[in-house]
Amino acid sequence: MTANAEAPGTEPKISARNVQVYYGDTHAIKDVSVDIEDKTVTAFIGPSGCGKSTFLRCINRMNDTIDVARVEGDIRIDGEDIYDRRVDPVQLRAKVGMVFQKPNPFPKSIYDNVAYGPRIHGLARNKAELDDIVERALRRGAIWDEVKDRLSAPGTGLSGGQQQRLCIARAVATEPEVLLMDEPCSALDPIATAQVEELIDELRQNYSVVIVTHSMQQAARVSQKTAFFHLGHLVEYGETDRIFTAPEDPRTESYITGRIG
Amino acid sequence: MIELLSAANAGVLTLLILALAALAYVLARHRALRAVDGDVRRLHSLPSYYGYAAAMLTAVPALLVLAVWLIVQPWLVQMQVAQTIPAADGARAVETLPALLSDAGIALGGTLEPAIVEAAQQHARLRALGHAGRSLVVLVLAIAGLVAALRMTDPTFRARNTVESGVRALLILAASLAILTTVGIVLSMLFESINFFRAHPWQDFFFGDSWSPNFRGDSDLSILPLLWGTLYISFIALAVAVPIGLYAAIYLSEYANNRVRSIAKPLLEILAGIPTIVYGLFALLTVGPFLVSVFGRGEDGLLGVDWMNGATSVLTAGLVMGIMLIPFVSSLSDDIINAVPQSLRDGSYGLGATHSETIRQVVLPAALPGIVGAILLAASRAIGETMIVVLGAGAIARISANPFEAMTTITTRIVSQLTGDTDFASPETLVAFALGLTLFVLTLALNVLALYIVRRYREQYE
Repeated sequence: MTANAEAPGTEPKISARNVQVYYGDTHAIKDVSVDIEDKTVTAFIGPSGCGKSTFLRCINRMNDTIDVARVEGDIRIDGEDIYDRRVDPVQLRAKVGMVFQKPNPFPKSIYDNVAYGPRIHGLARNKAELDDIVERALRRGAIWDEVKDRLSAPGTGLSGGQQQRLCIARAVATEPEVLLMDEPCSALDPIATAQVEELIDELRQNYSVVIVTHSMQQAARVSQKTAFFHLGHLVEYGETDRIFTAPEDPRTESYITGRIG
Repeated sequence: MIELLSAANAGVLTLLILALAALAYVLARHRALRAVDGDVRRLHSLPSYYGYAAAMLTAVPALLVLAVWLIVQPWLVQMQVAQTIPAADGARAVETLPALLSDAGIALGGTLEPAIVEAAQQHARLRALGHAGRSLVVLVLAIAGLVAALRMTDPTFRARNTVESGVRALLILAASLAILTTVGIVLSMLFESINFFRAHPWQDFFFGDSWSPNFRGDSDLSILPLLWGTLYISFIALAVAVPIGLYAAIYLSEYANNRVRSIAKPLLEILAGIPTIVYGLFALLTVGPFLVSVFGRGEDGLLGVDWMNGATSVLTAGLVMGIMLIPFVSSLSDDIINAVPQSLRDGSYGLGATHSETIRQVVLPAALPGIVGAILLAASRAIGETMIVVLGAGAIARISANPFEAMTTITTRIVSQLTGDTDFASPETLVAFALGLTLFVLTLALNVLALYIVRRYREQYE
């Protein structure tokens, strides 16, 4: 394991130790240990099927919704074991927001999409507070100016890039501490991608962001730390600049230079 | 020769044509192969396509002409013969015919007028001639088709495309037959309904308040009491079927694991396979007496009330019909709920919503239009249902809000107006067609609305 290139003294936001994931008989994640810092963008890269999305979904226990998935090992957020019996996955997910590969706005109005999380978690005491939360989330999602005049229009009527930013706004509306993004730009055109990447960089001020991406350029552009997954193993983890300029593992180098993947 | 041709009836002709078509297949295939010395790659199409194309050209025009001839000839002959009979004679002959028949037998021939005998002879002559002509034309056409197909068969002939367009024509024919049949049904109902409205005022039919058919004539034939019974029973049925069916669908699609689903779904669908007459028996023999023991019999009853006298009632029929509709609602709703994209559920879980919050606030609203469509389809089935109400609802036409009373529906009245000795010219019988047409319009409107809603919902996710 070449993980754990941790600067001494900073407490990691998320720390995973010896995580194994099985889908039925398939061993999808093999003994992954990693420390993810707060207020940092961490990119997971690797070829398709290498387990990076699976590992991401362990961090908010989304794998619980898949019947055949089984997770072993230890994942802690702020030192608290999230797979402990006493932890309610529902509450965990309010703290660890997630943005998906395909924009998935609910078939509701833009306002109701963003207000969905705050409503189910009772974050607002009255309508004015809810309006406030929605506006703040939409501003943080860098989409407020485009939708402020049509908050009651359906969220599904927006363009792909707008939908994805709406989904990001929806995720930040519940005030999460960690934001997981599973290939958030793979369904977007270059302009929308640039907008979302800019947004990710801003979100770093407040959150620990973990992003899964197929694009090495994107990983290089937005992240400070990069983890390279291959066949279920975490091959290499470290500063993004170093991974892309001086990879230690030959597999990482092969992938980055385009020889495998 | 003429005798031989006129002796061939339509069945024999069809067989002959098919034999010719088979011959055409063999010959054309052989010819195509010979034209290229057995090198299939030099043909435009596979050899069998040449065979099919030739068989098609042989059989289709001949069979079409045969079909048209079968319809047109009797009509033409009739016209021809009818002209030879003087108008007055024709009328009188028909009038006197029953009397002649009652004289029973051979004497009948002697009293016939010469014009009639002549007409009959001419009829027979024309018929024989027509049959001979038919056989001749059809066979010549088949042989001509065979020859033409064989002449066309050369390596550049696009046999495959010809066969493809033939197949398309066949499919179009099948589709239009289905539609034409529907149109035919509607038209026949419409004409009989028009006859009914000639004999009975339409104001009474649509706006009267009493239904009491009376075979001596002068009946009250108003649809309103029947419509009320129909809608009341359907409403109770839906009140039973919609919540139970919907909850079952939610459980099966969202909560049940694969093993439960693989057992429960077929079990639910068995309900849909039970013949409605069996439901009717269930209503009459089990549900009705049970309801009486709960809501009737005064002091002896379970509730000590005396609201219900007989086993047949709106409630009996409504409950049983509701049970019948459960699998209908649940299997349609199940499909619709499953069609809601998983990404929406993931999005909701990702925001920290629980399972039931996700279903209530994301899945069901997304599936709502489809579910409404399913309910409307169920409603149209409830309105058209017959056997359960025949046995379970009773036969008394009345407008009342009491669900423990017997009432009757449009469908049961259609059955009772058309069974037994009926005179097809009396409004009491013809009213069945007007009732049927009204029912048809009602369910058609519901179905169109439901399909429109379901289709709009589908577009949303495609």
